[in-house]
Amino acid sequence: MVKSALNGIKVIELANMVSGPYCGKLLADMGAEVIKVEPPEGDPSRQSGPFPESGAHTERSALFLYNNTSKRGITLNLDKVEGVTAFRKLLKWGDVLIDNNPAQRLESLGLDWGTMRQLNPMLVYTSITPYGRTGPRASNKGDELTIIHAGGLGNLLPTRSLDIDRAPVKMGGYPVGYHAGLTAAVATLAALLGREKTSRGQIIDISLQEVILTLVRVNIASSRYHDTTWSRVPDRPPAMGRMKTSDGYIVVGAIEDHHFRAFTELMGNPEWAAAEEWGSMTYRRHHLMEIAPKMDEWMLTQRKDDIHHLGASKGIPMGPINTARDVMTSEQYAARGYFVTVDHPEAGSNRYAGWPYQMSATPPFVQRPAPLLGEHNQEIYCNEFGYSPQEFEQLQHDGVI
Amino acid sequence: MVNKTLPLEGVRVADFSWVWAGPYCTMLLATLGAEVIKVEGHRRTDLVRHGVVWPLQDAAPQETPTNQGMSLNSVNMSKKSVTLDLSRPEGVQLAKQLVAISDVVVDNMRAGAMVRLGLGYKELRQVRPDIIVVSSSSRGQEGPEKDYGGYATIHHAIGGGAYITGYADDAPCTSGGDSDIMNATATTYAILAALFHKVQTGEGQFIDFSQCEGVSCLIGELLLGYEMNSQIPERMGNAHPEYAPHNVYQCWGVDRWLALEVHSDSEFATLAYVIGKPDLAEDPRFAKMASRKANEVELDRIIEDWTRQRDRDWMVNEFSQAGLMAAPSRDWKDLYADPHLKARQAFVTVEHPEIGELELVGVPWKMGDAEADIRYAPLLGEHNDYVLHGLLGLSTGEISDLRRNDIIM
Repeated sequence: MVKSALNGIKVIELANMVSGPYCGKLLADMGAEVIKVEPPEGDPSRQSGPFPESGAHTERSALFLYNNTSKRGITLNLDKVEGVTAFRKLLKWGDVLIDNNPAQRLESLGLDWGTMRQLNPMLVYTSITPYGRTGPRASNKGDELTIIHAGGLGNLLPTRSLDIDRAPVKMGGYPVGYHAGLTAAVATLAALLGREKTSRGQIIDISLQEVILTLVRVNIASSRYHDTTWSRVPDRPPAMGRMKTSDGYIVVGAIEDHHFRAFTELMGNPEWAAAEEWGSMTYRRHHLMEIAPKMDEWMLTQRKDDIHHLGASKGIPMGPINTARDVMTSEQYAARGYFVTVDHPEAGSNRYAGWPYQMSATPPFVQRPAPLLGEHNQEIYCNEFGYSPQEFEQLQHDGVI
Repeated sequence: MVNKTLPLEGVRVADFSWVWAGPYCTMLLATLGAEVIKVEGHRRTDLVRHGVVWPLQDAAPQETPTNQGMSLNSVNMSKKSVTLDLSRPEGVQLAKQLVAISDVVVDNMRAGAMVRLGLGYKELRQVRPDIIVVSSSSRGQEGPEKDYGGYATIHHAIGGGAYITGYADDAPCTSGGDSDIMNATATTYAILAALFHKVQTGEGQFIDFSQCEGVSCLIGELLLGYEMNSQIPERMGNAHPEYAPHNVYQCWGVDRWLALEVHSDSEFATLAYVIGKPDLAEDPRFAKMASRKANEVELDRIIEDWTRQRDRDWMVNEFSQAGLMAAPSRDWKDLYADPHLKARQAFVTVEHPEIGELELVGVPWKMGDAEADIRYAPLLGEHNDYVLHGLLGLSTGEISDLRRNDIIM
């Protein structure tokens, strides 16, 4: 048997889309036993792509497949009384409840935190909401676009924008959801470790806005206390950063003096960068834009991967702006065994992103592919929670599962 | 100080990390109750002790005093500081003694740097068999690119995040240092899992963290999507593949914006009502999600004609009251002034001995049983005596010798 870090931890996941499910996946891939509870129509991420060429299909959404590895799945209609009864059984069973519904959702079913902790004093309740469970905006709604701006990161993007009249943009994908999932997983494990000392569970209140706020912590403190002017629109020409190559883009961070010397060599020691003062970071900070067009012109003749290897092996911090294909074909990632192959009954065998941490004693692993909708209903309701075949049929008949 | 038991009380962390990707991780551990001892050479300190975060309005001064940069202070709270010159055998020896009484060791130097210092996992396990050692590096400890260096923007690029960020008709864009903070959070997760395992079994381990891979994990659905359909996902500004309106709109004033996202048809009807154009909800161009998406440019123009003449915060309030998803695109002043963040105590105030009161972002969770008193980031070498004498048992004479020999500050 594979040794796993979270062996024996039981998790109920009442969550959809990215934040809660990614938190559940992190715990599940680390060995926890996670039961994903979906409404009868399924997690809405099943309807979001990307999908295979064959088209949209509830069992073939990459968003769902990726974020729900290693879990078992049941369906449960919480709008039915019997559904709430079943959910109370789950609450008694679990060590952790992950919930990214509005706080009012469970409260309206008679399951406020006070009631839940009476049912199970050891329960760790991880609640993820757009603005947190307290404060004047507690009941406001929000999702990826609104939250990345509410939390301050959106206002800084796109970096190096030259047009103040063009709108700030969000990051691509689901950065809010993923980062919230990570943050929630950290807090959940901390609470589980704390439980070993206090012998009681607790509620964790995660605000998506604060999850983003923490990412800009240095920028905003710097603006307030050092009078720096962080904005997507630079108040002076940028020193280094993104450069265009013949086949794409590369990011160059030749910031320190020895980096810049190596970069000058890489360019073939051109005359226009030969003067001694270019060796000084302070001088470059003020004058780099004078030679930037020449540097850009040179970079346009280079290919991103070739120049990356040449430059990085000489100690210059740099890296290509990779597409999904570039990432999937990275030799470095392959050498580290980053991708894991997962075989799913409906979506087939595919390579999934693995984990950025390689752990010598308890390596993370995929316990099983993402569950089909209701795949483990019988196993869990009947075999583990003691519903008789008749009761099980009744639940099905009543639209509870 | 609150009389409660924090989750990581009794855990000691020897912290050899610098800049953001390591220090924010160990700061999270410190706020959870661990005793984190930040190890720096006094002649080779954490890089961020000597730089203000660019861009500065004035050309000078370019450097802050050692203890006063916000880059340092924002990610090192609640730690202790000791100076040790790790280029000297005496410094390395003391570092090992510190590891011998620690549970976790964290670094984010170039791959192999700790091994070259004589502080690799093999050596450290000899002085502390159940140690958890975490090395967080740019590309990881193994593989053809293990010796390459990088910063947050570079990891964001390599990991695939930058390519999908930016306007659809313009260049991709890397974000700023946020990938470091994100990777630090993921590193913290791996450490807590390892600590959990150690509590159960007494076993330590080595964790090899790649900051490029950390970025890729957060676009996992796009990587799997490419694996399944061979289509490269492109950047699309603020747009959503299905929802419209879904954009950031200019408001009255200079550089004032609000973000608005409408998912369902009923939300759109509400929006149409709030902006005084209820007919839009019946308009065949906009009534249904798919038609709104098809006529998004026209719809955005109608909405922006309305927002451009109005006050941002007033509009956000109107939208929110109506149950819509809207937010101002907040800059630093908006964040510090936000009454909601204030009410939730999202910021902490620390009393810095050299600067005075500092209001900084706290931790991104609220946990009743785990709210620590957060202290200012330690002054360089502030805890030399505590660590060397109090923890390692060196005599006053031995400490003076170290100082005279320039091993410590």
